[in-house]
Amino acid sequence: MRQQDNLKTESGVGKRLPHPTAVTVTDLDLYYGQTRALKEINLVIPEKQVTAFIGPSGCGKSTLLRCFNRLNDLIDVCRIEGEILLNGRDIYAENVNVAELRREVGIVFQKPNPFPKSIYENVAYGLRIQGVNKRRQLDETVEWALKGAALWDEVKDRLNDSAFGLSGGQQQRLVIARAIAVQPKCILLDEPCSALDPISTLKVEELIAELKSQYTIIMVTHNMQQAARVSDYTAFMYMGELIEFGETDQIFTKPRHKKTEDYITGRYG
Amino acid sequence: MKTLIKWVADGTPWVWLNAAAVSACILLVVGLLMLIGVRGFGHFWPLPVQEIVYQQADGSEIIVVGQIREHEKVTAMRLRESGLEVAEGSEFVTRYLIKTGNRDIIGQDFRWILEPAIKSIGKPQSMVVFEREEWGVLIGRLIAVRESGQLLEDPDTWGEFLRLLTRANNMRDEIRELEKGRIGSINYRLERLRLKQRGLELEGKDEEASLAVIENDRARLQEEYNVLEENLGRLYTELRRDAIVVTTSDGQEHEIPMSSIIDAHRPNQMNLFGKLGYFLHTVWKFVADDPREANTEGGIFPAIFGTVLMVLLMSLFVTPLGVVAAVYLKEYARQGLFTRFIRIAVNNLAGVPSIVYGVFGLGFFVYTLGGSLDRLFFPEALPAPTFGTGGLFWASLTLALLTLPVVIVSTEEGLSRIPRSIREGSLALGATQWETLWRTVLPMASPGIMTGLILAVARAAGEVAPLMLVGVVKLAPALPLDGNAPFLHLDRKFMHLGFHIYDVGFQSPNVEAARPLVYATALLLVVVIVLLNLVAIQVRNRLSERYRGLES
Repeated sequence: MRQQDNLKTESGVGKRLPHPTAVTVTDLDLYYGQTRALKEINLVIPEKQVTAFIGPSGCGKSTLLRCFNRLNDLIDVCRIEGEILLNGRDIYAENVNVAELRREVGIVFQKPNPFPKSIYENVAYGLRIQGVNKRRQLDETVEWALKGAALWDEVKDRLNDSAFGLSGGQQQRLVIARAIAVQPKCILLDEPCSALDPISTLKVEELIAELKSQYTIIMVTHNMQQAARVSDYTAFMYMGELIEFGETDQIFTKPRHKKTEDYITGRYG
Repeated sequence: MKTLIKWVADGTPWVWLNAAAVSACILLVVGLLMLIGVRGFGHFWPLPVQEIVYQQADGSEIIVVGQIREHEKVTAMRLRESGLEVAEGSEFVTRYLIKTGNRDIIGQDFRWILEPAIKSIGKPQSMVVFEREEWGVLIGRLIAVRESGQLLEDPDTWGEFLRLLTRANNMRDEIRELEKGRIGSINYRLERLRLKQRGLELEGKDEEASLAVIENDRARLQEEYNVLEENLGRLYTELRRDAIVVTTSDGQEHEIPMSSIIDAHRPNQMNLFGKLGYFLHTVWKFVADDPREANTEGGIFPAIFGTVLMVLLMSLFVTPLGVVAAVYLKEYARQGLFTRFIRIAVNNLAGVPSIVYGVFGLGFFVYTLGGSLDRLFFPEALPAPTFGTGGLFWASLTLALLTLPVVIVSTEEGLSRIPRSIREGSLALGATQWETLWRTVLPMASPGIMTGLILAVARAAGEVAPLMLVGVVKLAPALPLDGNAPFLHLDRKFMHLGFHIYDVGFQSPNVEAARPLVYATALLLVVVIVLLNLVAIQVRNRLSERYRGLES
């Protein structure tokens, strides 16, 4: 018990943040069958900031990320204890409409996953799901979303071509455009650049920096330089536990925890 | 030695072995198609008519006129044993199968003759092969043409004959249109009226007024019928007006009414193009005409029509059912022991012999379901069954059941090929599982579904055994699709190419005449299946083109 208190203060979780809160995680445990994949996670994520999860492979970063829009529900053996509040609402409460929740919390995966449709229809997908079929409204939103994802100039002349014709980086930005087209509050990025070349990575990183003025962004990354470049806050996870959370500058320059220091200095990973 | 070891070690023999296996398969397929193609369509090629002077066993000479259909070598020994005299010293004797036609005159239309007994052989230009409504072909010389009983003086007998033949054929078309079309329609409506009246009686609502309406309708139809009947009688008399005089091989003259002649050609006068034209003409007639004379003459159009219609209906039944079942198994059901058990059961279902499905179809669909349908909806027709007997609907359903496992398995495969990230991408945009399925997963799985359908069509179109129990007949009086509402008659019996092959080949009274038709029908069955498959494959390729890039 004492140790946990220590951890809380040490990891900076208890500290008040200078920004309004977007997500609050309290005592979260996650099990895959018998395996405990996440252990007593406590975390407060600020609104309209970029928060990065770093940590070695298999430490539970992606699992935690997928808890925020309940994508883990798709796995039969997955079980969750604890509480996650999104803007003050418990997203695991009985009466939550999961489809609606996912509309508020968009996600972009490691590998771009455009649908086998045209570029236009990919971006319009979420709107069509919501029953929007007015051509003008669709056109406006598609243009707005593609501009928001910094892709408009590259694709405006071929909106009706297949999305598979785009390059990997373009596809990833298309997927981001698809996510912001439904105007979520929060965007989850699960290693968004690990399948991209350096130039595309740079573009996506610039895009993230732009997007944070409107959206809360939570990203998982393997690349510590990227976390340092892009994020405002960083959480370090190890073996299913949240070791340390704080402002990125602080984490990378003055880590409070030994394990964090070992990790960011490259002693293991 | 060393080179041999090296040759084995670097795998060359395996390459050769594999290549040999592939070649063997190709040879088999091509050989099969060639065999049925040549045997089947060779039948339609106009063969020359030979006039053969033939010495019979008793020494007397006769004239045999006909087309040489086949020849084979037989041992002299065998002939001697069967009591024929064969010259000493020859071990083998060639014998010919001659199609003489004229079954009504000489009692048979094929005979074997031995080569040594042939005195002379010739190909007289004037020989004509007449195709008739009955009794097979007539081979002989055209002597004269009688128009309205009047012998025509015109020296161009053939030209006059063709003129009268065209007239007769036009008239025959008119008669068929009248009989099958308008009179058929009136009969159909009369039957409906009878059923309506019987229905009212059964319900106890047979009041004067309603009965009078029916009676009125009936009288009107009867009147219409009388007019048509009169027309028909007139047409028949007109058709029988002309006749031709033909001498046959025995030298006798026969007068044949024009009404019994369908077609005629003079093979000995035809050049290659003439023969080719005639060949195409007869092949087309084979494909497009109704069968005659216990299926040994005429075409097989109703069988082609029945096969295609049944396969289409089958696809219509099996696709939605199979897809929905596969979607449930793959997407909704909790994967576990029970779903695994169901999968095993479905796979085993594909291995059940088709005749078992036929028995099931007869017992459950026809007798149980059909019987109940009749009692509920068609009581006025009882005791004559409507759906309580084999028919197009039950046959299609039985085959749909038979092919269901194939569709389920391939749809499941198609579904499992769709990457998880696509589903998650859709769900992450706020789509429900159903919306994800409908908008993304199912369209992407459609090539897999089409593959299942292709396999199902290939299997269903060639299936005969179960159909014999649930609705196929050797001769259907009417097509299941016609101009009488409700147009598609699912309760009707139908003809099928596969069953037609069996019927013509083994149930036919005239084996020699029917044998080429077996091959020709078999080839057409293959062609129909290939065409159906090509359409399906085309659709599938389009779909996979649209969703390509899936694997990347």
